[in-house]
Amino acid sequence: MSNYIPTIGIEVHVELKTRSKIFSNSKNGYGMGANTLTNVIDLGYPGTLPTVNEEVINIAIKAATVLHCKIRKMMNFDRKNYFYPDNSKNYQITQNRTPIGYDGYIEIDIDGKKKKIEIEEMHIEEDTCKSAHRKDVTLLDFNRAGVPLIEIVTKPCISSGEEAKLYLEKLRETLLYADISDCKIEEGSMRCDANVSIRKEEKDPFGTKAEIKNIGSISNVKLSIEKEIIRQQKLYDNHETFKPQTRRFDSKLNDTVLMRVKETGNDYRYFPEPDIPYLYLTDEQIFQARKTIPMTPDERRELYDKRNMSEVNREKIIAHRELSDFLNKLVETNLDFQIASNLLLGDISSYLNKKNKTLKETKLTQEKFTDLVEKVIDRTLTSKNIKDLLTDILEKDQSISELIKEKNISNITDDSILKEIIHKVLENNEESIKDYLSGHDRALKYLMGQVMKETKGSADPLLASNLLKEELESKK
Amino acid sequence: MNKYLDKTIIELNQLLKEKKITPLDLVLEAFARIEKEHELNAFITLNKEEALKEAKKLETMEVDNLLFGLPIAIKDNILTKNLRTTCASHMLDNFIPIYDATVVEKIKEKHMIIIGKTNMDEFAMGSSSRTSYFGAPRNPWNKQKIAGGSSGGSATTVAARLLPLALGSDTGGSIRQPASYCGIVGMKPTYGRISRYGLVAFASSLDQIGPMTRNVYENALFLNSLVGKDEKDLTSSKKEREDFTRKIGQEIKGMKFAIPNYFMSDIVTEEIRDRIKEVIQLLEKKGATVDYIDIAYLENAVTLYQIIAMGEASSNLARFDGIRYGHSKENPKDIDDLYYGSREEGFGEEVKRRIMVGSYILSGDNAKKYYDKALSIRSDIRTSFLKAFEKYDLIIGPTTTTTAYDLTDPMDDPLKTFLDDVLVIPVNMAGLPGLNVPVAFSKDHMPIGLHIIGKPFDEATIYQLASFIEKELNLDLNPKGSDENE
Repeated sequence: MSNYIPTIGIEVHVELKTRSKIFSNSKNGYGMGANTLTNVIDLGYPGTLPTVNEEVINIAIKAATVLHCKIRKMMNFDRKNYFYPDNSKNYQITQNRTPIGYDGYIEIDIDGKKKKIEIEEMHIEEDTCKSAHRKDVTLLDFNRAGVPLIEIVTKPCISSGEEAKLYLEKLRETLLYADISDCKIEEGSMRCDANVSIRKEEKDPFGTKAEIKNIGSISNVKLSIEKEIIRQQKLYDNHETFKPQTRRFDSKLNDTVLMRVKETGNDYRYFPEPDIPYLYLTDEQIFQARKTIPMTPDERRELYDKRNMSEVNREKIIAHRELSDFLNKLVETNLDFQIASNLLLGDISSYLNKKNKTLKETKLTQEKFTDLVEKVIDRTLTSKNIKDLLTDILEKDQSISELIKEKNISNITDDSILKEIIHKVLENNEESIKDYLSGHDRALKYLMGQVMKETKGSADPLLASNLLKEELESKK
Repeated sequence: MNKYLDKTIIELNQLLKEKKITPLDLVLEAFARIEKEHELNAFITLNKEEALKEAKKLETMEVDNLLFGLPIAIKDNILTKNLRTTCASHMLDNFIPIYDATVVEKIKEKHMIIIGKTNMDEFAMGSSSRTSYFGAPRNPWNKQKIAGGSSGGSATTVAARLLPLALGSDTGGSIRQPASYCGIVGMKPTYGRISRYGLVAFASSLDQIGPMTRNVYENALFLNSLVGKDEKDLTSSKKEREDFTRKIGQEIKGMKFAIPNYFMSDIVTEEIRDRIKEVIQLLEKKGATVDYIDIAYLENAVTLYQIIAMGEASSNLARFDGIRYGHSKENPKDIDDLYYGSREEGFGEEVKRRIMVGSYILSGDNAKKYYDKALSIRSDIRTSFLKAFEKYDLIIGPTTTTTAYDLTDPMDDPLKTFLDDVLVIPVNMAGLPGLNVPVAFSKDHMPIGLHIIGKPFDEATIYQLASFIEKELNLDLNPKGSDENE
């Protein structure tokens, strides 16, 4: 097969987490009885008119901001006219000429390098109703009709399935963190389409485009793009051409499948929506909306790097929004973020997973957590102590000190007591000393175990191990 | 038959307050009059059972406003809960709305009694009400002639004194033109003055509901009850309520009026121009000045109107697809057959023609070539009007180019029918308030109207002049002749 350059553009629709729909006051909800969240406006009843949900505009401002888009202050809505049963008015209210955001980007890390995936525009529009096809009939559920969406369109600047995947992961993380959408692909609150074409050389015009619609997962986006590239390469290598078309990804066949050929360009007869006057965003409104944006994942990365958190911990913490938010509340203190993240990701996370709880549902306060970290640093508590204490820390109101007292935890931190115990252990284990001196590290571990056993686990492990090494070295 | 319904609203209110009559008397008389004049074909649906029930209910209530207990007609493109609303179309001939238009809610709050839904052009598309699926209403001055349109049934109802009050809608003259043909007072208020929520949309950026009455004072009074900001209509104005009758009775001395030259050009019959000139002389005699001026693009207004109105209509009427309400083709083969069949069977010729032209106008590059350009020239027309209003209080002229013509006149020239509205359309394009007041009769005794155009939201000054002229001329506007002694 010859080499081709793929060109990929991604369109993503996400449903916004608003209380009510975009153009009516029906509730915005998922998983309710069919047609229970509808009114005359959602049903496109004669004589009805749209109103604009201010919450949608504010969320869209936030989205535009986190996607580094410019914001259009004077904008309007347009009608996209097409007949389809899921479209109650047979036109969709969208933004065609004046998308609220434009010229943005999302930065991804690919092969150790940073790449900006450019965002052409993002606009606000209404969702259609859900249709279910039965044997002879099509059933329509208008609960989804009028749910607010934003559509995010990249420039054709993506060059592989892997890049597309990284872009979508980063986009999803960004939108989740800004409280814009819950981005659940399986529930349809995030929907991805990919436009794929290939060409021989950079100087060539773009090749014929295939659009892969509504791909069911981010990993399948990558896979379907890779399969589509191969399909197109084979065609070109055989000197075949194809028409612009819409395809879908069939995960059983593990390949893209033709849905329909795009005969001519769609004619949506766009024109400005006359029922909604122009909207003028004020600087104050933009400022107020932006103020509600929590720290972005990239800002968190920067912060955690500055606080010397390891990369592994950093990514794990960011993947668990609640832990990250919890930690960020302590940013003003001089808390050791590495030890703090170890605690959060280790024993605390295991507890939360086991009990299927969120951090908020435990008794862990910021003060208690800071205290805990300090007790680890000054070696008042060993990791074994923490394992013993954790359930109480998370389930009881008492402070860490109170719990230590109650559990009667006192660790041997006195050199002379420890030294005495070490001498005793060494006397009883001549063989192990020999092993150690002849270079067997295993012997150190064994001896350490004996020390811990002798102290019933109450020895400060770091101190004990240092003293033990000292003693052994002196025997050289 | 009692002749209560020939009395003024003030007189009726007095009688109701003194309990000399009851709302039921008025409702019964209204239905008797409608029955007697049924050949006028003014109504599509009568609300007899509910109206009687409502009238009886009102008997025990206090008469709390001037419009209390008065019978009223509603144009059949304004939604009335539980009362069939057809838009004079086969598409909706079984359509029972489940909510009231905002304006209907206001009418019910004032305890007016809805007598029925009036005939009109199908989906308000036409100027003679002859595109109605239910046949055309007739002009009470001569039953062989058209009532005008599209609010023809409402105009007929008021002109024939079937009822004192009717609601119309005006997208390109549909209140003022039939008001002129039928010799009544019809106001299209400023765009946004009255909520459009519940008005079946024809051309959203032009549609406006308005009052149609026997005289100027009652028109202003009626308008008082219809206006106000509506949260459900983003295009409705935030203006505070006001009393539109407040300038009625004031002198016109020193006022400045303008007549666009185009309005008095030879597109208008000589007879109408002569009658309007007599009005001008009267105004000048009473101390007002009247100047002839030019307003830009007036001669293009009809073309621009066709582009904007049909473009918007093609989209607004897309929802009638046979799925959720309205006419639905029986046993369709597939979804396309349901769409094509329902719309083919449900819509009449004129509606289909406008949907097709409108779809073409918005298609591909045409949207930029036609629709965008029309919007831009439309704002130039508005600017030109507003400039004239810097110097003049009001702009006047004839409402129509001819008087009402024969019902049998050909309808096959779609362009010609728009020319009926050539003088009224510019007002919709500019979003201004405009009113028809009868000022004369032709030789064959058909009414001739004066068109008074005001600044945005200055309906009160329009009523001032209209009322002044009405009082000076003192015409007998009852087609049967008024009998003062009865």
